[in-house]
Amino acid sequence: MPRIERRGFATYYQQTGSGPDVVLIHAFTSNLSMWVLTGIAEALAQNLGLRVTSYDMRGHGATYVTPSGYDSATLADDLAALMEAWQMPAAIVVGHSYGGVVAMHTAVRHPDRVRGVIVADSYFPGLSAIEPSMPHAEPWRDLQRTLSRAGIEIGDQVDFSRLFALIQDLTADQWEALDPILGPSGTRWLGHLKPLATTTAGHEAFEAAGLTADILRTIRQPVVGLYDEHSAFLRTSAFLQDELPSCCVDLVPGAHHLAPLDNTAAFLPLLEKHLARLTTAAGIAGSEYDRPRMA
Amino acid sequence: MNHATDTMTQDVIQVLRCFQQREYSGPMHAHTRFFGDLGFSSIDAVILGETLDERYGKKLPFGSFLRELRDRGAEDIAIGDLADFLCRHVTPRES
Repeated sequence: MPRIERRGFATYYQQTGSGPDVVLIHAFTSNLSMWVLTGIAEALAQNLGLRVTSYDMRGHGATYVTPSGYDSATLADDLAALMEAWQMPAAIVVGHSYGGVVAMHTAVRHPDRVRGVIVADSYFPGLSAIEPSMPHAEPWRDLQRTLSRAGIEIGDQVDFSRLFALIQDLTADQWEALDPILGPSGTRWLGHLKPLATTTAGHEAFEAAGLTADILRTIRQPVVGLYDEHSAFLRTSAFLQDELPSCCVDLVPGAHHLAPLDNTAAFLPLLEKHLARLTTAAGIAGSEYDRPRMA
Repeated sequence: MNHATDTMTQDVIQVLRCFQQREYSGPMHAHTRFFGDLGFSSIDAVILGETLDERYGKKLPFGSFLRELRDRGAEDIAIGDLADFLCRHVTPRES
C-alpha cells in the first residue's frame, strides 16, 4: 500500500501508467477511489499515455487525519510537497469539486508545479458573492432529504461541521435505519466521515483562504471548467470563462454535481479531450497557449 | 462454475480471510458481496485491487472490469465476479 510521509503525516496514493504527469484530486469527503473504481485513472493512463497519480487528501480515505489544515492553501502546499516527493517537477492537475479549488490554489501558490488545471463542478469559497444560493445547493438538499428519512436532520444550509458531529453521535439503531436508505456503500461513506468530527475540516473547506476573485484572475496556466449540466455553480463556470486569461468551459450532460461518478461515460471523453489538448500545449516549450472559447 | 473459476474463488477467499485485519468470520462463497456482505468501503476495494496486483505480480485492469459491472447496472461486486475477471488475466496461486 503506497504511502508517503510528508509534512508530518502519511499520505496514501496510487500511480498508474507512464508519460507526462497528471494528478487527480478528489472532492471534500470523498477519496481517490472515485478515480480508481470508475476506471478513470486507468483509462487516462492507457488511452493518453500519461502517468496518472491520485491521492487521498489529509483526513480522507486512507490518509492520516490531522486536527486542522483543510483550507485550500494548506492542501495546495501538501500537494506541492507530495509532487516533490514523487519527483514530479510539474503536472496537469485535475480536481473534482473541492479538489478543483485545491488544484487552482496550487496553480497560484506553486505556479511552476502546475502546467494546467481542469476543475470539475467546483464551487470556490472566494466566489461566494456570485453564488448566493450555495448554502442551499441541491447536492446538500439531496443529502438532507435522504438522511431525514432515517430521522437525521442536518439542516437546510450546508454545514459539514454539524453533519460530522451528528454522524459521530449516531446510535446503532440509527445506523441500522440508514443502511436500507443509503445502501451499503452510502452507509460506509458516511461512516468514513466520523474522524472528521474531531477536526476543523467542516468550516476550513469553506474558507476563501486567500483564493479570492482577484487572485483567481491572475492564474496564467490554461484552465478548463467541466461543469455539470444541472450544476448549482453555473455562475462560477461563467466567471471562470469570462475572467480568466486562459479558460474554456464544457458542460457534462445529465449530471448534477457528481459527473465523474454518476455519468462517467460522458465525463471521461471530455476529460480525455481536454487533457490531450493541455498535454500537447504544455509540451510545446515557449509557445503561447491558444485560448479556446467553447460552449 | 468451472474448475478454474472455482479454484480462483477459493484463492480470493484466502486473500480476504486476512485482508486489512477484517473481522468477518462468516461463510464466504462466489455470491458473497464485497460491500453488502463484507462491509467494504470504496477505499477497501482500491486496496484489495493493489493486494491482488502484488499477489499475481502484474497490474490488473480493474478499472475496465469495474466499468463493465457498472454498465451492467451492478451495485455491488460478488466474489464470483472478481474470480471470473481474475481467471481471464492470471492463474491461481498455489498458496
